[in-house]
Amino acid sequence: MGGATIRAATLPKYPEFPMRLLLSALFFMLSALASSAQDLQSLLQENAAQIAKPSRTSIGIVLDQMVATGLPQVPAFLEEWSDKNVWQDEATGLFYIATEGDDVLTLTDIDTGAQTTAPVDGFQQLKPNGGVRRVIGTALVQFQLIDPDTTRRTAALESIARRPEASQLAPLIASLDGEADPVLRTRKANLITILSARFAEDPADRIAAIEKLAQETSVETRAVLNQILATKPGVATELPEANIAVQHDPMTDPDGFYAALVAADLAQPLTTPAAIRAAMEAHIVDGRVGDVPVAQLHTDAARARAYAALAAAGTVPPLLGEPERNNALRSHVFYDAYIEDDPAITAAARRALDQVENAVALAQTVDLGLDALSLASIYFLAAIGLAITFGVMGVINMAHGEFIMMGAYTGYVIQLFIPDYTIAILVALPVAFAITFAAGVTMERLVIRHLYHRPLETLLATFGISIALQQLAKNIFGTQARPLTSPAWLDGAWIISDVIQISYIRIAIFFMALFFLALILYILKRTRLGLEVRAVTQNPGMAASMGINPDRINMLTFGLGSGIAGIAGVAIGLYAKVTSEMGADYIVQSFMTVVVGGVGNVWGTLAGASLIGGLQKGIEWFNPSNTLAAQTYMILFIILFIQFRPKGIVALKGRAAAD
Amino acid sequence: MHNSFIARNPSVLWFLAALGLFTFGVTLLSEATGIGLISTSFVKTLGKTLCLCLIAIAMDVVWGYCGILSLGHFAFFGIGGYAIGMWLMYARTETIVLSSLAGQTIPATPQEISDAIGNQIFGVVGSSEFPLIWAFSDSLVLQLAMVVLIPGLLALVFGWLAFRSRVTGVYLSILTQAMTLALSLYLFQNDSGLRGNNGLSGLQNIPGFEATPQATISIIFFLASAFALGAGYVFFAWVISGKMGSVVQGIRDNEARVRFLGYQVEGYKLFIFTITAIVSGIAGALYYPQAGIINPGEIAPIASIYLAVWVAIGGRGRLYGAVIGAAFVSLLSSWFTGGGAPDINLGFYTIQWTDWWLVLLGLSFVIVTLYFPKGIGGLFDYLVRKPS
Repeated sequence: MGGATIRAATLPKYPEFPMRLLLSALFFMLSALASSAQDLQSLLQENAAQIAKPSRTSIGIVLDQMVATGLPQVPAFLEEWSDKNVWQDEATGLFYIATEGDDVLTLTDIDTGAQTTAPVDGFQQLKPNGGVRRVIGTALVQFQLIDPDTTRRTAALESIARRPEASQLAPLIASLDGEADPVLRTRKANLITILSARFAEDPADRIAAIEKLAQETSVETRAVLNQILATKPGVATELPEANIAVQHDPMTDPDGFYAALVAADLAQPLTTPAAIRAAMEAHIVDGRVGDVPVAQLHTDAARARAYAALAAAGTVPPLLGEPERNNALRSHVFYDAYIEDDPAITAAARRALDQVENAVALAQTVDLGLDALSLASIYFLAAIGLAITFGVMGVINMAHGEFIMMGAYTGYVIQLFIPDYTIAILVALPVAFAITFAAGVTMERLVIRHLYHRPLETLLATFGISIALQQLAKNIFGTQARPLTSPAWLDGAWIISDVIQISYIRIAIFFMALFFLALILYILKRTRLGLEVRAVTQNPGMAASMGINPDRINMLTFGLGSGIAGIAGVAIGLYAKVTSEMGADYIVQSFMTVVVGGVGNVWGTLAGASLIGGLQKGIEWFNPSNTLAAQTYMILFIILFIQFRPKGIVALKGRAAAD
Repeated sequence: MHNSFIARNPSVLWFLAALGLFTFGVTLLSEATGIGLISTSFVKTLGKTLCLCLIAIAMDVVWGYCGILSLGHFAFFGIGGYAIGMWLMYARTETIVLSSLAGQTIPATPQEISDAIGNQIFGVVGSSEFPLIWAFSDSLVLQLAMVVLIPGLLALVFGWLAFRSRVTGVYLSILTQAMTLALSLYLFQNDSGLRGNNGLSGLQNIPGFEATPQATISIIFFLASAFALGAGYVFFAWVISGKMGSVVQGIRDNEARVRFLGYQVEGYKLFIFTITAIVSGIAGALYYPQAGIINPGEIAPIASIYLAVWVAIGGRGRLYGAVIGAAFVSLLSSWFTGGGAPDINLGFYTIQWTDWWLVLLGLSFVIVTLYFPKGIGGLFDYLVRKPS
């Protein structure tokens, strides 16, 4: 069905192509008949000199004759020739396909296929050079396009796409009708459009093809349109009769355009400060240059005076300075001219390219949105555990990043024991949770419990734990990055178009973030534990008098937050390297996320992660080469943001907001 | 007034006496001015340690006395170092360029000299033009003013923004940490105008003193650092004594109550924050000529956290505690990481301190926070406890 539409769309626009092909085939057949060549060997013999010592420029005619015979042995011969497997008998001048072995050649007759052997002496191997082999390759393409083997047809199409040439257009169109494979058929139609846009003889066909290209956003399409729109810069005294793309105002970049003028031999180079200096040095007479004493030549004005004196005496060429440069620039026109002569075609291509670029810009925005979403989900995963401990309990845990690292290393160690990556990841997630949960509970019991009323000191104590854990990891696992390999089904990316694509890992992390958002909301809002956590958060004293044990709740909450950090570690380790410092990379970002989002609220963390992720991608988009600058500006933005919403995006109200 | 200040702060005299004695002793033992028992490089280490002690008292004032846990004071330290480093690097390169241009037949124009200097300094980041921030780098006086002005202005603006919107506690700590992170990330860029991650180097060569041996320069900087520490100590002791000191400590203990009593809490906090930033800048300006090189890694957030660690271990809320903490931990740290500490062989495992020092430091930090909130300085309480 797809094939039918393509034919309906393409063929009526090229009515003369099959006709032309038919005519040329007829012509060649006639000429072949005229030379009465019934087999390939006799045709080769007629052009023996050309075959034995081919040249890139003249071999085309012989190849055309060979193709026109329509003999089935032609493609095989061309391939063997190109692979340097054709030998010539020096005595008879006959050509053979031959394989060489131990001073003996196994000869195959070109037409009959009969095999004989002969000593190597007396035979000459044909070694066509690279240029000739390319021409042979082009001639071969038309055979490959109708080859019964699908892989060879695909290969032929790829070779056309890589190096499109005008001569390929006719065979391509001829092969379209016979194409049975729907995928290849689409690809052929696509290549026909691309080739027609560049090489079709009738301008109307080219414009039609160009307009068709405007519907696509692929890199290939943009490359074709850009090739049609290729320009070369020119300079002249008057604007020439050519397809002018743009005329420049030379004063926007005077030195650059003057350099073009000099390169075109329309002007002399300006007298540079270095040249002035050299002239001074070369013409010192009795401690003076011109009549200026050498000792005074430490200002530009004095040097100009001395140079003027030298120029007046004729010893140096006259000074070419800025006024001369500007005069020269004003008396010339600077332009870019299209290499394509037909203005109608370039105009169509320009229109098409604008349309394509608009579509690409739209697609890039979507792609950016996806990137931002995936970054936001990573920040969310890294920060949600912190939001629980910091937000709900008011405890700063600087070792949170190290819990992320512990989770990642847990995944790495489990992969050492379980070779199946899918099972390893499935095992690693709960194990990482268990290990970091235990670590969090231990830390809460041993350290944090004693510091609940001194939040700043919690910060310092947990920082101490953080550097100790980091160094411990370095001592155990070394400083080099350890891989945490994702299962094969998570490799690769979901490619929507040339512009929009997103790796499966990031999609998985996105869904993981969604899952944990739901899980935490469920735990906090729908379970007994969540109820008790919220009660202790709002009023520990009252909660205790209602029979809740605040100590136990704090311990569990801290364990939960730490456990989620461990799971985030496995997720982050899948797409980033596992190092002892990976936690430190996320800790500041995580704190920002929690603080910007608003403390004590899961939705706030979500909002903070989205804002920071989106912002970072947005800034990177403006200045893609400089991620350092992007981070700097983002932090400055956050500092300013805190000014206007000191309690974050989602601020608690009422009593819960009191410190 | 002076009498009463000293009388209320006997520790100032004790500290000045100890510092004087220490300085005198090092001078007598150094290579340039004494019997040469202490090597030049160790004199430099001691001089740098004194600068770290100076920023530690600034940190103690802002944290231990005013309750603002700033995790960004090393940014001011670094800015001071960069400000003086710009002059040192410019002036030294100028000397080199002038002497190399002097051999030419034609005297150089100012433009040629400037181009040559720019090429020397910025060639490493693929540029040769002087960025705007180097406009005053040819003047020592102006750059010295920068040492004070830029940290002061930055702290003033940042503090005003933060205190105005009542950002307090851990939020403020994280915000200051973000500030120093932003600054170090910015400086890491090649087009920041300060040579990216190459930083400024060759700062140990003081222009105009090319003939003076490093041994002499090191002892001069050591004495200058000691003087700055002494002066800083007296200054901060004066600031935190008297009425203003009481208000500041009141803010630390209960900000809301002090505000209700009618004090302009924000003004006091801003003053303390700015003045400590300026002293940090001065400390940096003395530190980096002794270190010889400054790069953006120096002002990474971790440095400021270590500063807080020193003050906490030394003992918050007492100036000599901060000095002891900074000197003790930083010297111990360089002893351990420099391979000075002997390895401990446990039979099944050998503890190499280069690997295990940070673990020890981290754990001891937890223990100090938990069980000795007064730090090392708290030990003095036992010594001077009056018989009751």
